[in-house]
Amino acid sequence: MVDASLSRPPVRGALVETAARVRLRRTLELTGRVLSDPTTVIGLVIIVLMLAMALLAPVITTPNVPDPYQMPRDWGAVRKPPLTEGHLLGTTNNGGDVLYGVIWGARTSLYLSLLVVSITVVVGTIIGSIAGFLGGRFDNILMRIVDVFLSIPELIFALAIAAVLGPSFANIVLALAVTFWVKYARIMRAQIMRVKQNDYVDAARVIGDSKLRIYFKDILPNSITPVMVQATTDMGHVVLVGATLAFIGLSEAGIAEWGVLVSEGQAGISSGRWWASTFPGLMVFLWALAFNLVGDGLRDALDPRTEGR
Amino acid sequence: MLTNLEESVAVVRAPDVIASVRDLKIHFSGKRGMVHAVDGISFDIRDGETLGLVGETGCGKSVTARSFLRLVQTPPGVYAGGSITFRPRRVCDDCGGVGCRECDGTGRVAAHCPACGGKGCRTCSGTGEETVDLLSIPDAQMRALRGNRIAMIFQDPGKALNPGLTVRDQIAEVFLQHRTAEILAAAGVSPDDVLLRRQASQKSRAFEKMLLAVPPLRSGRNRIDAALDTMVADALAQTQIPNPRKVMERYPHELSGGMRQRVMIAQALACNPDLLIADEPTTALDVTVQARILELIRELQQRHKTAVLYISHDLSLVRRVCDRVMVMYAGRIAETATSPQLFRRPTHPYTRGLLGALPGRGAHRGRLAAIDGTVPELVNPPAACRFVGRCPDEVAACSRTDPPMVEIEPEHAAACFVHAPPVKAPASRPVRTP
Repeated sequence: MVDASLSRPPVRGALVETAARVRLRRTLELTGRVLSDPTTVIGLVIIVLMLAMALLAPVITTPNVPDPYQMPRDWGAVRKPPLTEGHLLGTTNNGGDVLYGVIWGARTSLYLSLLVVSITVVVGTIIGSIAGFLGGRFDNILMRIVDVFLSIPELIFALAIAAVLGPSFANIVLALAVTFWVKYARIMRAQIMRVKQNDYVDAARVIGDSKLRIYFKDILPNSITPVMVQATTDMGHVVLVGATLAFIGLSEAGIAEWGVLVSEGQAGISSGRWWASTFPGLMVFLWALAFNLVGDGLRDALDPRTEGR
Repeated sequence: MLTNLEESVAVVRAPDVIASVRDLKIHFSGKRGMVHAVDGISFDIRDGETLGLVGETGCGKSVTARSFLRLVQTPPGVYAGGSITFRPRRVCDDCGGVGCRECDGTGRVAAHCPACGGKGCRTCSGTGEETVDLLSIPDAQMRALRGNRIAMIFQDPGKALNPGLTVRDQIAEVFLQHRTAEILAAAGVSPDDVLLRRQASQKSRAFEKMLLAVPPLRSGRNRIDAALDTMVADALAQTQIPNPRKVMERYPHELSGGMRQRVMIAQALACNPDLLIADEPTTALDVTVQARILELIRELQQRHKTAVLYISHDLSLVRRVCDRVMVMYAGRIAETATSPQLFRRPTHPYTRGLLGALPGRGAHRGRLAAIDGTVPELVNPPAACRFVGRCPDEVAACSRTDPPMVEIEPEHAAACFVHAPPVKAPASRPVRTP
């Protein structure tokens, strides 16, 4: 049999770059740039581990019935130190297993941060876009509203909202969403004001594109990057503030949430029972740190100005 | 390289006016009052000619050009008066845009007046041709003209291309906006296929795109993509880009400045426009590349017989490229002439100053000539010649009245009391600049 490759013309495909290949190459380049920073890699590893823990929670632990997000109570084993049989990280004053809380707390945190960040990114982007793209009166009114929100410290504002609405996990989500969208609106508005000045926006008008098309084709893709970076950092920040609110008692008691756990264990710290607060506190720290590292890494990789080459 | 260009400049074409500007006034509201950036200028652009618009920074030349496409931001800009009448053409029926004897090789013929269907009526002042006022037509009509009948090339091609889209996508955009029927025909798709027609006019929503990715519908979408690929590659090939199929998959930052400007030109000329506005198209380029880009614009313009409004502050360049030249100063036209006339017999003191400031080829190194003084502020200007104070030949009349445009010889007019004295009293017979 004759080798089929002999009858083919010389390979030209290797020279012709298809759009798909160019896109793939760009993605690989960007990935390479992100991964070239060791701190970013550390952050990514922590995030992957956290996500694995959150997703596999029902597999690693036996879910509490009926509500797995409630801490299981083992009244027979109260205030046990770490490495106790059946309670690897010890138990709390109320017989809650710290390990269970840490693992299911990751799930709660993922739930909280995804919910808050997606709501705030969408709301902030829309409002910032309207203000920046339409400008004029819209811009004035919307930005004055943003100013009002910004003039109140974020934690105190969230605290006030949660306090008025009563302690519950849903209210923490709401309180955080109401405080966090402002940043995105500001970033988006500033970005759009800047991108709008570019000649390619005028060039798009010159070829007859409609305003909406210009927004989606030329403006949005070229201004969304800082929002994405901020969103990554906020994935950690939301959990930090959320845990703070839960710690002060604005979440319902007894749920598997890191802030709640820290608060549950704090009474015992002075008596030497350090474990009930330390492990969940450490988790909050790691979570916030990891997303911050990755956020910074993304910013460095995406922003040509900080490119250290 | 440019000598053959210079020879062709002297050819004067049939005065078939494609766009006429009448008493155009564009003001900008500033902190200290209205800035009269363009203050009552009138001129015509003839079919197929290259009209140079020369002047220093801030004289209103860019604003004038941008107003053709209604690109001036309002606010702070205000269209304070005047009109820009434009005669859009349509694709020639006999050849379908390829160019035949019927349309003189341009592929374009005059569009019939919508009011009378070509018989001649009051709307079209008896010509039977469609005329529109670019400053007053509704936005939708303006959008249909942009990129289709009037196109524009920007100064810096590095900034005028979207960094996030491939060259192919950016040029395809023009076809998707204005050539849906042609795309469908090239793809062999029936124009009654709603889903594909929307795809070929960039109207598809996300769910329609998903539908089109499903195998039975996919072949139609792929045929449209292939047809677009061919159209884009053809447009690029016109600008002498080697290997267009390869270049069109690149992003702008992967191309050189000259290549980017070729892409811009391909995009601008994709729909065979009647009028091309070139806003200093070579300023951002290397000198060696400049010449080749100029030659390219010239060649494509002659092939398609496109009228070009060429904005520049480089007189030596304008001399090579333009049939006629208009010198602007502080929002007014100072002088207008054919290009040989202007350089043989500059009349307005400002034009003389500009030409005098050109470093001569044989001259020894030394002080470069300059025009003394600075451009006047254009906030609420008085009724006087704008050049007062900088003019070497000033007389008393100059600071009392505005000099009208006066014809010195055919095709050549200037606004100056001293060098182009009005025939009788001032402002007796202001000649409309051709």
